[in-house]
Amino acid sequence: MNAPSELRYVRYDNSRENELVPAMRQLISKDLSEPYSIYVYRYFLYQWGDLCFLAMDDKNEMVGVVVSKLEPHRDGPMRGYIAMLAVREEYRGRGIATKLVRMAIDAMIERDADEIVLETEITNTAAMKLYERLGFLRSKQLHRYYLNGNSAYRLVLYLKEGVGAIRTAFVDPYGPPPPVPV
Amino acid sequence: MLPNNEVRVPRPRVVQSAVPRDITAEFTDAASKLHGGQLVKDEMFTLFEAVGALEIMDSKMDSGYIAPGENLAQALEDDYDVRQPLTPEEVVGLMDQLLCHEVAWHKGHPLSQTLFTSIYLDRLLWPVPRTMEGARFDRVPSDSPLVGLVLRAYCLALVKSCDLVHARVATEYYYEEEDFVSQLYNRNLLSAFDISQFHRLLDQAVAWVGDQTDIDETLKQAIQSRLLFRHEFLSALHQDLEVLETRSTENFASCIAQLEPLLESVSLGKPVPEAFSLKIQRKLASTVPPRPMVNISHDDALAHMKRLCQDAIDMQQMLDYCGPSNFKTAVWTLLSRKPQPSIYIRCLLQALIVSNMTILGAVPVKDFLYDDLAELVLPASILLEANTDDVEMPSDPRFQIAQKMDGFLKRFAQPFVDTVRCACMNRCRIRRTICHTIVDWDNLQMEAEELDLELRTLSAEPPLQFQGGEPTWSFPLSSWAYNQKLVHFRLILQMGFELSIYSPEELPGMYWYLSHICSTHLGHIDRIRTFTVAARKRDLMSAGTRTGGSLQKASAFHKSFHALERLTTHIVAVDAFAIALHALYVVLARHNVLPSASSSQAYSSDRLRYEIRMKPFIPITLPELVPYDEYKREAALEGDSDVIILERASKAITEARKAWEATLANGAFIDDPSAPNKPAPVAIEEDWKRDVKDTMRACIGTSLAIEAVRKALAASSSENKSLNLEVVVPEVGSKTRWHDWWVVPQVSEKKSQA
Repeated sequence: MNAPSELRYVRYDNSRENELVPAMRQLISKDLSEPYSIYVYRYFLYQWGDLCFLAMDDKNEMVGVVVSKLEPHRDGPMRGYIAMLAVREEYRGRGIATKLVRMAIDAMIERDADEIVLETEITNTAAMKLYERLGFLRSKQLHRYYLNGNSAYRLVLYLKEGVGAIRTAFVDPYGPPPPVPV
Repeated sequence: MLPNNEVRVPRPRVVQSAVPRDITAEFTDAASKLHGGQLVKDEMFTLFEAVGALEIMDSKMDSGYIAPGENLAQALEDDYDVRQPLTPEEVVGLMDQLLCHEVAWHKGHPLSQTLFTSIYLDRLLWPVPRTMEGARFDRVPSDSPLVGLVLRAYCLALVKSCDLVHARVATEYYYEEEDFVSQLYNRNLLSAFDISQFHRLLDQAVAWVGDQTDIDETLKQAIQSRLLFRHEFLSALHQDLEVLETRSTENFASCIAQLEPLLESVSLGKPVPEAFSLKIQRKLASTVPPRPMVNISHDDALAHMKRLCQDAIDMQQMLDYCGPSNFKTAVWTLLSRKPQPSIYIRCLLQALIVSNMTILGAVPVKDFLYDDLAELVLPASILLEANTDDVEMPSDPRFQIAQKMDGFLKRFAQPFVDTVRCACMNRCRIRRTICHTIVDWDNLQMEAEELDLELRTLSAEPPLQFQGGEPTWSFPLSSWAYNQKLVHFRLILQMGFELSIYSPEELPGMYWYLSHICSTHLGHIDRIRTFTVAARKRDLMSAGTRTGGSLQKASAFHKSFHALERLTTHIVAVDAFAIALHALYVVLARHNVLPSASSSQAYSSDRLRYEIRMKPFIPITLPELVPYDEYKREAALEGDSDVIILERASKAITEARKAWEATLANGAFIDDPSAPNKPAPVAIEEDWKRDVKDTMRACIGTSLAIEAVRKALAASSSENKSLNLEVVVPEVGSKTRWHDWWVVPQVSEKKSQA
């Protein structure tokens, strides 16, 4: 086992897709019943590769990853979104995930993010604790959000004052149902 | 983590006629100029589409993928023989496994992972049978009547029950994939066939089983009880909305009666796992990755079925409209049962609550709305009595009042009914929906205010003057809308506790905010009462000149005062309890014994976190948002000593206990003197009582916690040490969480470290 000090934290580099993405997919797919397609990875990495951070061990093996994006939310606040976070099982409990998430948040703050949101499975207490320690709050529960039938919490972190009052355009897909025809 | 369950239903594409040409060379050329990983997408390509995409030839995503060397026939077909004879034990085992799958489907799993893993059902339903005779396991029937008659009858009736459930749910408002998966994969659930045909087959099967001499008696009964359950369940579901006329609970009651022997005989069954296969998924839909079979236990399945039937029976107790309060209480109470009633029940209720602008198939929405207005703000008011049919002179103020009220009705009826119907959603959606609809109600209140201004001129309402102040008018319609909104505010907060939204360190603030909303609400009810009292006085003074209808008026006013009184008692109870918990949590937070989810290294500040919490309320004009600094001061009870705060907690909890006692004594429902012989909704009332009693239990828990803190405080001040307390915030569903809406901390003396 490696001591935490021997880990290197690096920013994702799109020119190394061939070597990094397969390792990333392997790491993330472990926790999923159904893997994400390559398009999901490319969707994030090609547009926001600089918001993706990796933890590598001394043999240059990937042991942790965080994937995120940052864009205006419906013409409103600049919203960061943490899409995926994974740490290899035998490396858990060493603060690697927290470090990775901090790097992503710091990068988003540098790029003027107003808020950061994410979802986490209700049963994933470790993830919830991690984000809540960083100041995230649960804003809502999402019923049966995942394939396995588990619900999720939406977690939110405001980085600036006044974000809650920024108006957004369009209809929130998680908003109220359209009127029921009677 | 991203969800990967975007609905993978192919979208209709616009097909344009075009002359095909080979673009291979152009494509290869263009592709060669891209870097690996470079994303080529148009503006419209969203994350949802990326998540919904499949990778062909990846066995975990491509359900049609056949591995190299895999035999095509073997990969797609199972060699299970549906004609093979089965033992009675196996038939029981199969029936029970199918029931488990059926319930898993009811609970929101797709058919492809549940019932459509059954080879028997697959054979019955594909190719789509045109006749009942055509719906069989094989073209050549099995020689065994246990298979060809008994199991087939059971399977067919099961599919038909699914058809009836599917038809009801799909017509109503539900959330695809959250509540239910409606996908049928181009199969038809025998919707064209009348239930009498299924009943006939079931009867034949029951009779055949009864005639057999070589089957053990207990097994015969086991099979028969399963067939009879199907028979009754089919009848019960077939009743559907007709329950409004039939008022029959008989079929659902028989279902429950059959579930008893069914449960007892589960152990007789012998599982036939090879009769279920995931290979069928490969044929169902190519847009879905292979997904595992969902297995739920027999106990879970039977318990779910029993609850469904019981909910359906109890639902009938609310089909008689007995006034707006009673109706709303009954709907909310029934739908707040834990576990929440199944999606079938929730959809059936939606349809019963309102269809064709009629409540419970009998009361026009207008009457419901007007009853609610009369009860809260406008007893015996000309505003509700004016009618364009009676008064035809357009210059008559009554005509104009009636016209204005018609406009009000058109605008408010739907949102009002939706506030009731909203209870049919899943719990998460209820809260999310209300977070959005309070904004609508804020706007509605402003619109109502405009109407109030116009109406008060038409009705010549005399103003009231308080202590030489400005004249004020009643503003009945906007007062009513404001009341509605305040109820929603409270619900958002209370459901926040229920859904475990708040972290422990937020509890002092959230209970402070709850009490703040309650006191605002109580002030509003006082205002309403003041104007109703004045209206009653005016009415009595003028009664000398007019005699007609005075009894009726007295009764209308009495009803309204009574309703206001009940509402007041209830909100006082909530308010007092919130004040007590607020005070208790403030002391725990002050002494750093309240657990905290956030750490000192957090990115956010209390101010930013307050803003997130207040997000739904920021756009609301009334009640105004409490500015952070004021909130901080009030919520932390700055300036008050621990002793004073604990005193406040004790007083408040004593008041809360009294007020909850009074609420319980008031009962769930208002007696309807016009219909003294109507049977009371006993079952729903029991739920309501249990809820209040659980709240009272939580009050007692709070009293104990307050005492424990007081003792620890006294000990620590005499010894000059920190509070020797351990505080646990009980999770929803745990034994010590007496009520979902009341988070009572478990306070105990910290065990000495020695």
